[in-house]
Amino acid sequence: MNRTEPIRIQAGFMNEVTERSGQMFNSCFQCRSCSGGCPMAEEMDYLPNEIIRMVQLGMKQEVLESQSIWFCVGCLACVSECPNGISLPEMMDTLRQIALEEKVTVKEPEVVAFHQEFLGQVKRYGRLYELGFMARYRMKSLPALRDIPNYMKFLFSGRLSILPEKINKRVDMKKLNEVCHV
Amino acid sequence: MSKAVKRTIPVGKRRICIYPGCSLTASSRDFADSLFQMAKMAGMWVEELKDWNCCGASPAHSVNPEYATLLSGRNLILAQKQGVEDLYVVCPSCYIRLKEAKHKLANDEQMRDKLFQAYGTRYTGEVKVRFFLEAIEPGDEAIFEGHMNRSLEGLNAVIYYGCLMSRPERVTGFDLKHYESSIIKFVENTGAKVRDWGASSRCCGSHLAVSRPELADRLVDRILDAAIQAKANCVVTFCPLCQVNLEMRGTAKNRLPVFFIPELAGFASGEVKAEKWARRHLVNPMPLLKINRIL
Repeated sequence: MNRTEPIRIQAGFMNEVTERSGQMFNSCFQCRSCSGGCPMAEEMDYLPNEIIRMVQLGMKQEVLESQSIWFCVGCLACVSECPNGISLPEMMDTLRQIALEEKVTVKEPEVVAFHQEFLGQVKRYGRLYELGFMARYRMKSLPALRDIPNYMKFLFSGRLSILPEKINKRVDMKKLNEVCHV
Repeated sequence: MSKAVKRTIPVGKRRICIYPGCSLTASSRDFADSLFQMAKMAGMWVEELKDWNCCGASPAHSVNPEYATLLSGRNLILAQKQGVEDLYVVCPSCYIRLKEAKHKLANDEQMRDKLFQAYGTRYTGEVKVRFFLEAIEPGDEAIFEGHMNRSLEGLNAVIYYGCLMSRPERVTGFDLKHYESSIIKFVENTGAKVRDWGASSRCCGSHLAVSRPELADRLVDRILDAAIQAKANCVVTFCPLCQVNLEMRGTAKNRLPVFFIPELAGFASGEVKAEKWARRHLVNPMPLLKINRIL
């Protein structure tokens, strides 16, 4: 790690994450089982166990601006391995949420755009409209040209619905947005 | 159970209420189709949960866990209102989301209040969330044996469970070990051979296959390499997303077709729609099926 600035420590950070995620980070003794089982570990800038250590130390900015929090897909490998019963995916959920709330510079804007576009579809229809989602997401992010033949094949073989599937009681989705303030 | 529901059940059939999930209505509709076919063989009457909504999948809990719980919670409320005791979930990812929501609602009073605010019904927690395999018991795979009219000899399959389904019971509430030998027996009953391999529970990259395809490529390559090393010529899977990722991602030239497990039952029973299912795969399985005189 090359850095010219000193690391800034935020003392209450661990407590904040503990409270919101319900995970006890004090019990982590850095056995690295989580990182050993993690399929994304080699792509991450900090290993999962390092993220926990950084949360313990209060390195808020580094954690929130890391790639790792966006690369966790929640496959639960770490949860199965952890001897102390820490649910890392729940920690990652909380960290991502804090990162978005505090509007830090997100390392993986493509992944964020994916999540937001997906939820946009769900908020509108109550279900995922795959065709609309793929079209809109691909327009927002850099077009991955290599996938277009695959999508075409999906479309022409009837594996994508042309019209969105909707739930009948869409007012429920509106009420849900009000309750969650989203 | 409400009266309206009671009327529709044909006599002597077991009623199963399923939560299909979004992908089973679109990109994996063949999975749904073939699964219903299998349920019919087992003498089950399958109904969809009425007016179900998306469970939120990965995006909802990734950016707003509370929203995810309440979104999945609506399905539990619906099941409760419709008098469903066991809600069978087909997609492993939906299963984990619904189970997680159930767990959170059971332990969080505030969350239950919010659920009431949103949908106007009190959550009682009576609905049981189950994985679709739990509709049968281990050993019940023998039911399907009588329906196998043609042998799938020549198919060398590796069974790919994917990540979520194969996690320990204390994490997911579903015990794969209990069913594993039964699943293998089921595939062997069709005449296909099951190969041993070491990548059956590796992650396929999940939603990163869409947003960061190059990362998923590496994960999928590792899985398919292992399959080819095990001398398999097809992969059998349970998860709609795994199926798409394994066929679409990865850089290898030598592609393996990836079947949903009930598709095998369709092929073996001589189901007329089976050819349609096969033709919709991204990796064309027809040469493999033709050579072995399956279709």
